[in-house]
Amino acid sequence: MKTLAQEVIEAGGGESIKACYQCGTCTGGCPTAGEMDYTPRQIIRMVNLGMRDRVLTSNSIWLCASCYQCQVRCPRGVRITDIMAALRSIAIRDGITPARPRAPAFYQSFLENISTYGRQFEPMLILKTVVRSREGIGEKLGFLLGMLPMGITLMRSRKMPLKAERVQGIEEVRRLFSNAEKLEAEG
Amino acid sequence: MSQRYAYYPGCSLEASAVEYDLSTKSVLRALGVELEEIPDWSCCGASAGHAVSKALALALPARDLARAETGGADVVAPCPACYKNLRYVRESLEEEAGRAKVERLLEGTGLSLSGKVQVKHLLEVLATDIGAERIAEAVQVPLEGLKVVTYYGCYISRPGSMRSFDDPVEPVTMDVLCRAAGAAVLPFTRKVRCCGAPVMMSSPGEMHRLSYEILNEAKQRGADAVVVACPLCHHSLDAAQPEIEKHHGKLEMPVLYITQVLGLALGLHPWDELGLDRNVVSTLGIVKRFSKVECPSK
Repeated sequence: MKTLAQEVIEAGGGESIKACYQCGTCTGGCPTAGEMDYTPRQIIRMVNLGMRDRVLTSNSIWLCASCYQCQVRCPRGVRITDIMAALRSIAIRDGITPARPRAPAFYQSFLENISTYGRQFEPMLILKTVVRSREGIGEKLGFLLGMLPMGITLMRSRKMPLKAERVQGIEEVRRLFSNAEKLEAEG
Repeated sequence: MSQRYAYYPGCSLEASAVEYDLSTKSVLRALGVELEEIPDWSCCGASAGHAVSKALALALPARDLARAETGGADVVAPCPACYKNLRYVRESLEEEAGRAKVERLLEGTGLSLSGKVQVKHLLEVLATDIGAERIAEAVQVPLEGLKVVTYYGCYISRPGSMRSFDDPVEPVTMDVLCRAAGAAVLPFTRKVRCCGAPVMMSSPGEMHRLSYEILNEAKQRGADAVVVACPLCHHSLDAAQPEIEKHHGKLEMPVLYITQVLGLALGLHPWDELGLDRNVVSTLGIVKRFSKVECPSK
């Protein structure tokens, strides 16, 4: 059986994960570490120790803002941001119940929009995300209500298209999705 | 010599960042640079491609780059997230394994990629290809007395493993451009501190806190505006500012795209050519100082 570290490497996290010496530079520079169940430094250690469930169900992987601050600063060349992305893709692939359900729902809806229209369409993206998100109806409504003032602000500035435009080469785009799926399946 | 680029606007520039699209086109036209939009471009996948499938993260921008190659000119992308993804596929072509993978991903689409065109961020085109000197020569209205801080966000020069036109920790290109326009650039410690846009879904409160810290430092330093070159940073700092103020108090800090700053100095029309009436936080105070155009009572 594969170790979690091996899975992360295969999902694009880089071999250098093994080089981490736990200095904590990543955590020191992380803008969202204060909100995380485990800090970036702890996540790297936990991956190397194979603590699969705790890592993949933590909120840390969904609170990573992908800002690359940690990765740019790491003295050991550990690609922490890429590792966080790899962990997210593993969690989505395995259907693990996420600590922050809206984030994976957003990513999946984002891609679904691309395969439908070829481009992004924000109003539909928000609606799909909320429908798909594995959270209670109260939370869904709370989030939608929270987004409402922003929607109104954008409409008043004439920045919210209400009609989606589809690219002409949508079949090309859909072919990319099936090609990518085939390639991923081969490993 | 006329410069020509293939233009990749990306999805944001057609929606919440229309003023970035408009001002980019206007400023480059004024500087004698030709843009040709990549025909029928599609979404680059943003951060979703990377979160779900490594192959898709490569396949989506590959289609756009392949379409750009037919025109032969280098690609310019104003959005740093698009830029990062387009460069990701461009750099993967430099290794045999990457080329083979891209070829398989494009199978059946009739498209192919050779890697003959480069991918550039708008700031690179402005600061390197055109250059601050040429911009300074074209200035009609020096922005004397305008105090700004420059905010770069994350993807303009990161990840550091990619070759870049600017420093991943201490970027300077926008500083140089703002000075060429006659503005004063104040010291700023949060140039590359994340605005929080990527956690908007998982934790809106975290996003507001991060953006607030940036806006608050700008205010403490006495800046008239924050200057950005990213539609997502702009969204967090400008469009979300009324929401941030509900939690953290009044800020009233205008957030301008670098192209809006340069356009004002080039004497372009603030609404028709720069879209300064589309920013959420009013830019009227700045426009009145540097434009002779009759201002509407907004």
